[in-house]
Amino acid sequence: MLQRILTEAPEFFSTYNMLFLLEAAGRTLGMTLIGCSIGFALGLVLAAVRGSSSRPLAPFRTLSIIYVETFRRIPFLVILFIVLYAIQPVFPDASLTLIATVAICLLSTAYLSEIIRAGLESVPQQQLESAAVLNFGPLRTLFSVVLPQAWRVILPPAVAFAVMFIKDTALASHMGVVELTFAGKIFVERGFSPALGFGAILVLYFALSWPLSRLGVHLEKRLAAARNP
Amino acid sequence: MNYDFDLGSVVAELPYLLGGAVVSLQIAVITFFIGALFGLFGALGLVYGSTASRRVIRGYVTFFTNTPALVQIFFLYYALPDLGLLLSPITCVLIGFVLNSAAYLTEIIRAGVISVRRAELDAAQALNMSGAQIVIHVILPHVARTIYPPLSNFFIILVLGSSLAALFGVEELTGRAINVSTTNLRTIETFGAVAVIYIAITFVASLSLALLGRWAFRVRTRIF
Repeated sequence: MLQRILTEAPEFFSTYNMLFLLEAAGRTLGMTLIGCSIGFALGLVLAAVRGSSSRPLAPFRTLSIIYVETFRRIPFLVILFIVLYAIQPVFPDASLTLIATVAICLLSTAYLSEIIRAGLESVPQQQLESAAVLNFGPLRTLFSVVLPQAWRVILPPAVAFAVMFIKDTALASHMGVVELTFAGKIFVERGFSPALGFGAILVLYFALSWPLSRLGVHLEKRLAAARNP
Repeated sequence: MNYDFDLGSVVAELPYLLGGAVVSLQIAVITFFIGALFGLFGALGLVYGSTASRRVIRGYVTFFTNTPALVQIFFLYYALPDLGLLLSPITCVLIGFVLNSAAYLTEIIRAGVISVRRAELDAAQALNMSGAQIVIHVILPHVARTIYPPLSNFFIILVLGSSLAALFGVEELTGRAINVSTTNLRTIETFGAVAVIYIAITFVASLSLALLGRWAFRVRTRIF
């Protein structure tokens, strides 16, 4: 195996192949970033709705719980299939990357909403009551009282979640999205040894994911220390 | 846009799909227990081991938690034949899952091992507790309380994660869904039904794990 890798290596590490791998890594990272950003925004809305106590929002509270509990219990692969076959008849021109990103957003909204909810709930109840006494509206309470304190609790698990999502996007390769895993399959189909092709892919995933998970550990230590001095 | 939903063809395949759900649960249970065994050794090595063994285990955990399980299994599945090792898809998938979950479970169990404080062991000794009493009344409650919630969470993640075995031709729930949808051509209905089955089995699993935790370890876990 090692002999085969050594003889193939010069051909494998050609400029074009490296550019192709870089583009694939960019797509993996892009899908993760877009999915996590949109998921964070929508997840914040869901968590805020679920944490609110206003009467008119009650049906939306139930919907938010149902959404989160549903999408946290369906495998990403099944969501991918459903989104693919639901979008394609309506928008035949939608690109596979777009479809995969939609599926990622659906899932990340559910997971990030749970993380954000835990953060919002970490703020003591008395502060919400004080804000109500000061005649703060719900939005003002959220943005000037709750979030400035809750972000310390939210950020570390959110980063850990992004690390998990870099790896989950690998499943999008099954639909034909040309991200890192698919690039590995292409190399193997072109005749490179699987150990070299998938080995390079493993290294690239590690290079994307490891700095982020180090950042998560670092944030957790720093922010936890700042919270309990 | 007209689309007639036809659930009849899926209902006919329900027994077949539910059989797949059993296979999914089997994969998750096997992975969980073998992974937990390795994870226990890994955690003990991380906490009490020599510097060298700590480094090896740390490196293993870092590598396996930072790369996708799918690519790890691809690597096993396509590269091992080069070494003259021909494994069936289900064996490859199980080996990949076990290697992967061992890394995560090492981290989870390590948190439980370090949650027992030296001072509490000293206090137990001062109360003249025997070794067995210390294990039962001091160490186990601590470890269980710390690791039971993340362990039951991880089991659910394993049930969901077992779906990627379908990409290697293993006929668990998702694999059977692919089989059914390629014959009845009712993809949305089939995968919709499968999604409902996944929700049902993970919900039942969460509920029974929460009840078990409450009964056996007095751990209060929230299901929602």
